[in-house]
Amino acid sequence: MASPQLLREVDSVDTQLDVHMEQHAGDLSNAFNRSSPSGNDEGSQSQPKQSTLPNGLRKSSRKHQDYIKISVPEPKKRLPLEWWKTVIAFVYALFNLVLTTVMITVVHERVPSKEISPPLPDKFFDYVGRVEWAFSISEINGMILVGLWCCQWLFLRYKSIAARRFFFIMGTLYLYRCMTIYVTTLPVPSMHIKCAPKLHGDSQAKLQRILRLISGGGLSITGSHILCGDFLYSGHTVMLTLTYLFIKEYSPSRFWWYHLLCWLLSAVGVVCILVGHEHYTVDVVIAYYITTRLFWWYHTMANIQTLRSSPQNYLSRSWWNPVFRFFEKNVQTKVPCSFSWPINWPPSCFKSSCKNYSMVQSGRRQ
Amino acid sequence: MKKVVYWSSEEVSSWLTEEGMPEYSDSFQHLNGEDLLRLTEADFKKPPLSLVSSDNGQQLLGKIETLNIEHHIEAHKNGHANGHLIKGNNGDISSKAKRSGMPNGFRNEMVQIHMPMPEKSHFPMEWGKTALAFIYALFCFVLTTVMISVVHERVPPKEETPPLPDKFFEIFDRVEWAFSICEINGMILVALWLIQWTLLKYKSIVGRRFFFIVGTLYLYRCITMYITTLPVPGMHFQCSPKLLGDWEAQMRRVIKMIAGGGLSITGSHTMCGDYLYSGHTVILTLTYLFIKEYSPRRFWWYHWICWFLSVVGIFCILLAHDHYTVDVVVAYYITTRLFWWYHTMANQQILKEATNTNFFSRVWWYRAFQYLEQNVSGTVPRNYQLPFPWRATPFSRNVKYTRLDT
Repeated sequence: MASPQLLREVDSVDTQLDVHMEQHAGDLSNAFNRSSPSGNDEGSQSQPKQSTLPNGLRKSSRKHQDYIKISVPEPKKRLPLEWWKTVIAFVYALFNLVLTTVMITVVHERVPSKEISPPLPDKFFDYVGRVEWAFSISEINGMILVGLWCCQWLFLRYKSIAARRFFFIMGTLYLYRCMTIYVTTLPVPSMHIKCAPKLHGDSQAKLQRILRLISGGGLSITGSHILCGDFLYSGHTVMLTLTYLFIKEYSPSRFWWYHLLCWLLSAVGVVCILVGHEHYTVDVVIAYYITTRLFWWYHTMANIQTLRSSPQNYLSRSWWNPVFRFFEKNVQTKVPCSFSWPINWPPSCFKSSCKNYSMVQSGRRQ
Repeated sequence: MKKVVYWSSEEVSSWLTEEGMPEYSDSFQHLNGEDLLRLTEADFKKPPLSLVSSDNGQQLLGKIETLNIEHHIEAHKNGHANGHLIKGNNGDISSKAKRSGMPNGFRNEMVQIHMPMPEKSHFPMEWGKTALAFIYALFCFVLTTVMISVVHERVPPKEETPPLPDKFFEIFDRVEWAFSICEINGMILVALWLIQWTLLKYKSIVGRRFFFIVGTLYLYRCITMYITTLPVPGMHFQCSPKLLGDWEAQMRRVIKMIAGGGLSITGSHTMCGDYLYSGHTVILTLTYLFIKEYSPRRFWWYHWICWFLSVVGIFCILLAHDHYTVDVVVAYYITTRLFWWYHTMANQQILKEATNTNFFSRVWWYRAFQYLEQNVSGTVPRNYQLPFPWRATPFSRNVKYTRLDT
């Protein structure tokens, strides 16, 4: 830090320099057009003001009389929220869920009865006998995972982007599922499964069934899993795997215990589906494969910018690539793993207790 | 070099030509070195020199000045002006700095500039890796055959478990000869691909990829066939009788199947149970994808023909009621995704490293992929060359093919 004496000396030198230069009005040394907010020694602003100072020696260093406005371009938002796209994705997912439900109802009519078509030979079923309460475990795990993911999602900072991806991927997986259950109908995997009676052509009753299935979420715990025929591939596996993948992806990597817990829930859930003899093994395997591949594919394309414009990117040949580009057009980087309170609470309530959460930022800073 | 004053007129003349001023050599025929040094501007204003020179002799005078300086400096052996180490023409470095006596910029001897060795090829052949991939594919084929043989024992008989309801079968009735069409198409596509492959320049890299992808697809197929056994899709199926526990007969069946390639045309498609997913679809789709990928884009008609063959083949599988629709759909999906996934990874350098954002690295075969493709940098160019030298034949005069390299 300069001592006051030095500053005074510098000051005096500066003043002398200023006076000298102004006297000689060296207009050659500085011919720039400068705008100053406050009037200077000369009052007129009509002609370009010759500041008479060469570049670098600005009066403003001492007196702050002339402010130069440097226009900084507005920083473009790298991760715009765009809730309307999320709504579109939600509608898409909803549509596919309803379509799946309708498809299940249709396929139910075609399932061969257990007496005509006995359950197909399955390697897992040969080794592991049926356990009655296993399927309930699987469904409970599924519900826990969905609940955890919802809670986690509420605390995410970039909710709209994560939700958009979740709805899109889930919607597409259910769309694929519609196709596979429709084209070929597998028989029931086990003799214990009770299928609701067939309603040949009774549309009213079919509609009621559809509504019942949607409202119960397709879970047998809620009593809405009475229809048969939707075996290839397993929707339960899709939900278990997908929620785990999303939970892991959008949470900090330090929470390894949390990830492990969710992984256990997911794995136990999937195994319990098989132990409960509710799906063939091939249903579960194919569901796992398609879910993981789609998730990885989507996220790699979304995270690596160069891939999107590269001509060597064969992944852009998938049918959903235009939809992907529409959703992720303005997302320029990997979505950072940051959290914020879901609603803007007055900060005064939390001033003291917020200290442990270093990753939580106040909503105001958004 | 002698001092300029001692130059003869021939030397002056040759110097003029060297410096790119031959127009003066005529006028300077009688000039020797001394006279050259004595030239001034005034001389250029009078004829005959004024007629020859376009710039009043400025350039020539300048060059003469330069000559003067060079010789002056050399004469006084001014080592300070130039302290660089100079390599002589024969390439050896002299023990002490050879003083050329000229300041920087004035060199009159050759300087050798080191050229870096040409880089390693971007696309090394590495036939060893191709051989490994081939063994992997062979292993998967044999495993599939063994698995089919095992699964055959578990297929429920037609009478007990009738064919499952299938949307396509309800719309289209069975056509008997359709499956032969499918197999013929398959054989044509495989043959076309083979011919195309022999004409590629980077055979080993492409062959490696083909073997790896085909091997992995058949490995997946093993898994799906084994875990759940679907019943026969149609009552027309004639499954060979079950050999319960007779290992020798089973072995013979396996060998017969491998020899026939699993085709019913060759009579080796007698076993049942290998429905999910369809191997025929895999081959039809995969050969088409490879043919399209590794042939020039201008051959659009060729691509169309192959696409047509492929689609007709797949349609005929279903028409013949030889596979369920879901088998074909799943096979198509897995084949295309794996092909695209692999090739995208192979063509982008960023995806060859396992980072946080690269989810592709989470597939189980990522290490194998890295091993096979680590030395391939960039997209393999579509270059072609004949598999054997062409010169000996009388057709060598035919130079229509500009893209062929020897």
